[in-house]
Amino acid sequence: MGQITLREVRKSFGATEVIPPLSLEIEDGEFVVFVGPSGCGKSTLLRMIAGLEDISGGQILIDGKDASALPPARRGLAMVFQSYALYPHMTVAKNIAFPLRMAGMPAEEQDRLVENAARVLNLTDYLDRRPGQLSGGQRQRVAIGRAIVRKPEAFLFDEPLSNLDAALRVNMRLEITELHAKLESTMIYVTHDQVEAMTMADKIVILHAGRIEQVGTPLDLYHNPRNLFVAGFIGSPKMNFISGAPAAAYGAHTIGVRPEHLDVSTEAGLWQGRVTVAEHLGSDTFLHVQTDHGQLNARLQGDIDVYHGDTVWLTPNEAIMHRFDADGLTMK
Amino acid sequence: MDDKSFAYRAKKASGIAMMLAFLAFAVLPILWVLILSLRPATALFEPIWESPTNLTFDNFRGIADSGFPRALLNSFLTAGIATILSMIVGVPAAFALAKSRLRGKFVASWVLLLLRMAPPVGFVIPLFLIYINAGLIDTYPGLIMAYMTLTLPLVVWSMWTTFAQIPNELIESALMDGASLAKALVLVVIPAARPGVVAAAILGFLIAWNDFFFALIITRGSTVTAPVSIMNFISSDSVDWGSIAVAAICVTLPIIPVMVIANRYIVQSLSGAVKG
Repeated sequence: MGQITLREVRKSFGATEVIPPLSLEIEDGEFVVFVGPSGCGKSTLLRMIAGLEDISGGQILIDGKDASALPPARRGLAMVFQSYALYPHMTVAKNIAFPLRMAGMPAEEQDRLVENAARVLNLTDYLDRRPGQLSGGQRQRVAIGRAIVRKPEAFLFDEPLSNLDAALRVNMRLEITELHAKLESTMIYVTHDQVEAMTMADKIVILHAGRIEQVGTPLDLYHNPRNLFVAGFIGSPKMNFISGAPAAAYGAHTIGVRPEHLDVSTEAGLWQGRVTVAEHLGSDTFLHVQTDHGQLNARLQGDIDVYHGDTVWLTPNEAIMHRFDADGLTMK
Repeated sequence: MDDKSFAYRAKKASGIAMMLAFLAFAVLPILWVLILSLRPATALFEPIWESPTNLTFDNFRGIADSGFPRALLNSFLTAGIATILSMIVGVPAAFALAKSRLRGKFVASWVLLLLRMAPPVGFVIPLFLIYINAGLIDTYPGLIMAYMTLTLPLVVWSMWTTFAQIPNELIESALMDGASLAKALVLVVIPAARPGVVAAAILGFLIAWNDFFFALIITRGSTVTAPVSIMNFISSDSVDWGSIAVAAICVTLPIIPVMVIANRYIVQSLSGAVKG
């Protein structure tokens, strides 16, 4: 079991409230991603769940039991840190065995579980090495091994891929997703990278200034953002926002059009503009177009014959356009 | 570049001359002590080249039969125990100061710095009066406690900075893995900070080992330490330079292997080596 409930939890540092009262339900086996910009409180929230940060109010329930005052060791959670936090003086085997040793498990049983974890994570050949002799990806796998070996109620990941290069990050993302499918355990994953959030999560929690802006499945957040912040945060490239007369024409204070929902024509359309940058990726073409309503970005499938300096016309797909009121909330 | 030029050669020669001067400054006193230790009392003040074969081990034999070996043991025991106790108390204290959100840490750091900087003479009169009343004069506990006023601030101060370099995530990771704070300190933090721990212990030991002032005030007979015992070779009408030289060698020799072994730890500690 790994059901985690946050009830009106809050966190203050002195007079500064970094997490206003916040409630959230995380179901057993769910892969939940906390995502938001730097300083939004996502890591603090994760650390509060882990017990590494005291809560200033509210309750944290793990499998229905109040864990608010329990020390980290007694919450039954495992955590993978951004810096890996491997013990530098221990071998890989001893690093992975450390939680088992703390639990007082017999040495033979420890060895068996360490070997199993090493096999799952392709670390068998590195068991006698020290962390300093491993690559970034291997270190991250050791950190994950140390987390999975004790079969925790839930896994907490604090930006675990941030220190890896882009190619390795994609691989590790897949490995963690596969691991979740294999273990079927609850995982809470913190990232500022919305692509990680979209590709890995069963449920995304978008945080902004310590508040939950929206909770939902990746596609739910993509298609039905609750407000301007969520609409702008989810999706890559970012959603285009246009205010003023063009928005008023659609009965809104601001309209939002995703780059992939803009039709581009070199002959006719709604908004005329000049291409400032054309990025040809082969599979896609990204156009940055300067219009009378500001800079708009368009994403087109395939390689389109448009270049820097060309004049184009952009037309939004009205059926999937997002409309926001003066408070930035989505209009029904 | 013309590396055979006069200016280059003059620069290089002056560099070598300076190094030789520093070397002589550092090594000559040691050589002098070595020669003194091997010269009979009658030839002490003769230049060595006038009677180069007039050497003897009498000074070593004389020292062996004196109270000096006991004083050397006293030095070793008191400095060793003071260091161990300072490490037992000081390392957890430094850990708490480095890693907890204690109020008044700034004040604590200044008090510690003050204790490190203050000359021991500042503590001697109150310490002496307390020791007289508590019956601690000429006792091992008395001397060890006095040494701890020197070693404990050093250990706390140096370990504080060492622990500050240990990433918090390492400790948090140990806590998540089921360790108590004490286990995290012993099993994770101290091994990760080993160069700093070894350096603090050795520097603490050296301070106590070399102390003369506290031992002079506190010890009387059975607890006299080596530096104070050397004074016994000076009487009102003579100075036993041969024995003093041997005693100086005996005080220095045990430190040399320790320093050789500890050297890399001290260098690592000073360069802040904690690798993740």
